[in-house]
Amino acid sequence: MNLFLIFISAAVVNNFVLSYFLGICPFVGVSRKVSSAVSMGLAVIFVMAISSVFTWLIYHLILVPFHMEILEYVAFILVIASLVQLVEMFIRKVSKPLYDTLGIYLPLITTNCAILGLALFSVLREYNFIESLVFGLGAGAGFTLALVIMAGIREELDMAPVPKYFQGAAITMIVAGALALAFMGFAGLISI
Amino acid sequence: MAKKQISIWQEIVKGLWRENPVLATLLGLCPTLAVTNTAVNGLAMGLATSFVLLSSSLFISILRHFIPHQVRIASYIVIIAAFVTVADRFLAGFFPVISQSLGPYVPLIVVNCLILGRQEAFSSKNKIGRSLLDGIGMGLGFSLVLIALGMVRELLGSGSIFGITLLGEWFEPWMVMILPPGAFLTLGFFIAIANWINDRRATA
Amino acid sequence: MTQHTSGSGKMVLVLTLIAALSGAILAAWDSYTAPKITYHREQALLVAISQVLPAHDSTRTVVRNGQTFYEAFAGDSLVGVGFQALGNGFQGQIRMMLGMTPDLESITGLEILEQVETPGLGTKIVHDPSQRSEPEWFTNQFNGLLPRPELTVIKNATPTHSNEIQAITGATISSQAVVRILNQQIESARQAFRTGSGVVHG
Repeated sequence: MNLFLIFISAAVVNNFVLSYFLGICPFVGVSRKVSSAVSMGLAVIFVMAISSVFTWLIYHLILVPFHMEILEYVAFILVIASLVQLVEMFIRKVSKPLYDTLGIYLPLITTNCAILGLALFSVLREYNFIESLVFGLGAGAGFTLALVIMAGIREELDMAPVPKYFQGAAITMIVAGALALAFMGFAGLISI
Repeated sequence: MAKKQISIWQEIVKGLWRENPVLATLLGLCPTLAVTNTAVNGLAMGLATSFVLLSSSLFISILRHFIPHQVRIASYIVIIAAFVTVADRFLAGFFPVISQSLGPYVPLIVVNCLILGRQEAFSSKNKIGRSLLDGIGMGLGFSLVLIALGMVRELLGSGSIFGITLLGEWFEPWMVMILPPGAFLTLGFFIAIANWINDRRATA
Repeated sequence: MTQHTSGSGKMVLVLTLIAALSGAILAAWDSYTAPKITYHREQALLVAISQVLPAHDSTRTVVRNGQTFYEAFAGDSLVGVGFQALGNGFQGQIRMMLGMTPDLESITGLEILEQVETPGLGTKIVHDPSQRSEPEWFTNQFNGLLPRPELTVIKNATPTHSNEIQAITGATISSQAVVRILNQQIESARQAFRTGSGVVHG
């Protein structure tokens, strides 16, 4: 029940993009087409799951025992950067089609604040190993959900007569605001 | 470096409007949206980001001939993360209340695309003085937008600015403005207004 | 722009140097700021203690059965007992300071020291901007309550009994979490306080 709550909370109630504003850059940049949004989302879920495991291990097995919590940020970002690199090399070796779909999005993920945010929130909320992993999967699912919905709306938006000065980034923000408002409705979902 | 050097003044001013990190290039949106529910938070985040931007620009500009090309991004990230830790501990040590309300968004300065972007595009290719000026301009431009967003959202959402109540009891606080949707809406309108001003300038 | 071509040896060396240098600077900075951070945390604790307990002119810290209590005195008589209550909220840990009468029967005040609830909803347990005249109404409701047998949360109604707390609309889980943590900790505090002999600190 508790794990389920963590997953739902990270995926919809406190959606990473729409209520924590994490991963806004890809949200604005890669949300033009549904197909690329799905690929980007899958790449993020994948990296989030792996990085939540590794940052948890680094923090609790190395930084805490040696009282080096001050190196938290430096260590996390290095782990994430190298992980993304490794995942990219691995996927390229193992599956060419998968690499063609996800490949170009992977380098973008290093500077996706959602990945670092995930690691920081896990530490802050004192999640254990399994909870961190579930939290990572939930956050990734939430990111994908927001991205795909946004891409769907933007595909429609291309045909819509948007006021001149709102074209581009401005209308994207307004739409995101409306989406965030809709997602606030999920707050009632688990309040028993 | 064939391009003619622009004047010192322009190096600073470009960050304020023409190449403003938020309104023109849409960099660093995550903190822009997350912490601007009050003007004070916007100010604190603007200053913390400017500090990290300036110090990393200075360091990376000094080290630009020593850092091998292949590992430059990794080196930049380590330097940025170190300065972010410095800023984070400084806030926690001297301004505990602000540190609490900014929460995990201070460490997230590490992945603010604005900072890494400036290092890659500017400090790694320019002299120390120029890099500092660029950092000052960008930091100032970023901070001003954050403060402005914070003021608008705080005024509409809580009826006050910098914690000082301006609108009386008659005003029903527009709660949604200090909640996440308000952040997106306000920024959307800011960008639209910036487009409008640019357009008028171009036709004038 | 000239492209630096260099061996992997130099790459490793430069990265290691940068990492080592950052580590050293941070270690020095840590030893400078850590005492200040601790100091602020203690200050916040002291402020909270003085706010949740009835008027007093001295306090002392006593450890009973491993639990820390802050006892407030007016003159020679004990007027209140404060202790920290810790537990999981909706998002993460909630840390509170609870003040009670010396018999641990009636609540004299509640302050929330740390929380990471949903911004704008769960955070209303600390500050609710929609209630302008009383933004701290949620914690204020606890003043004078009698947690016997225990505190209960009610929704969309005005409390009528002296152990009832009104939940925050849209933040029921956070409201319930606060009450659940308090119920558990009041119970354990009662046992620790009544049975344990005290060791006085400071």
